[in-house]
Amino acid sequence: MTAPEQPPSGAIRVDTAFGTFDVAPSDVVSFPAGLPGFEECRQFVVLSSRELEPFKCLQSVEGPSASFLAVDPRRAFPDYRSGLSDVDRARLGDPDEDALVWLAVVTVQAEQTVVNLRAPIVINPARMLGYQLMPSNSLYPLRYELTQLS
Amino acid sequence: MLVFTRRRNEAIIVADGIEIRVLRVSKDAVRLGVTAPADVPVHRQEVYDQIREENRRAAAPTGLPSALAHLPKASGGAS
Repeated sequence: MTAPEQPPSGAIRVDTAFGTFDVAPSDVVSFPAGLPGFEECRQFVVLSSRELEPFKCLQSVEGPSASFLAVDPRRAFPDYRSGLSDVDRARLGDPDEDALVWLAVVTVQAEQTVVNLRAPIVINPARMLGYQLMPSNSLYPLRYELTQLS
Repeated sequence: MLVFTRRRNEAIIVADGIEIRVLRVSKDAVRLGVTAPADVPVHRQEVYDQIREENRRAAAPTGLPSALAHLPKASGGAS
C-alpha cells in the first residue's frame, strides 16, 4: 500500500513495520483492558494488505506503541473451535458470535513461527470491542508451531 | 499491600461486589472461592503471566514469517 504524503482528512495515519496505513476513526477497536503485557494500549486497528495476507497487523493507535502479527486461528488449525465464557461475552458486549473476528497472535522467531491458539484475541465488530481470551483450561497450546496455513 | 488474617469461611470484599472467600486451609495450600460480577475476569496468576510473556515475545515483529513465504496466498482483497 502506498500512502499519499498527507492522510485524507479525518483519517488516522498508522506507521508499521509493514507499511503506512490510513484508517478511519470508525476502524478503531477499543480494548478496555488492553492486552496482557500491554495494559496501557486501549485502542487498536486491524490492518490488512496484500503483502500481509493472510496475516493481519494489530497496531495500537493510542498510548505506547504495540504491534502484533495475527492470523485467524482457523487458518492455522483447521478444526479450531473455541467458545466464549460468560465473562468473555460480557466483555465483548453480548456479541453475535457468528460475526466475531478471531485473531491468534503470531510470534516470528528466527527458527520457527509460533501462534498462540490458547489465548485468541476476539473482536466484536458491531461494538468495535476487543478482548484477549484467557481460558484456564484450553486444549490449545500457547505456542503452536505454524508450519502451514489453510 | 494490604494484609488480612482470615479464617475458614471468612472473606474479603474488593471494589463493588468482588468477594474472595477462604474455603479450606491445608498445610501449604488455601482453597479460595471468588464471586465477581459477570464482566470481571478472574485468573490464576500464572495463566495471565504466560499470556503476557507470549504477547511480549510476539510484539513489534519486523517481518513476516519467512519459512511461510512459499505458502499459497489466499485470493481476495483486504478486509
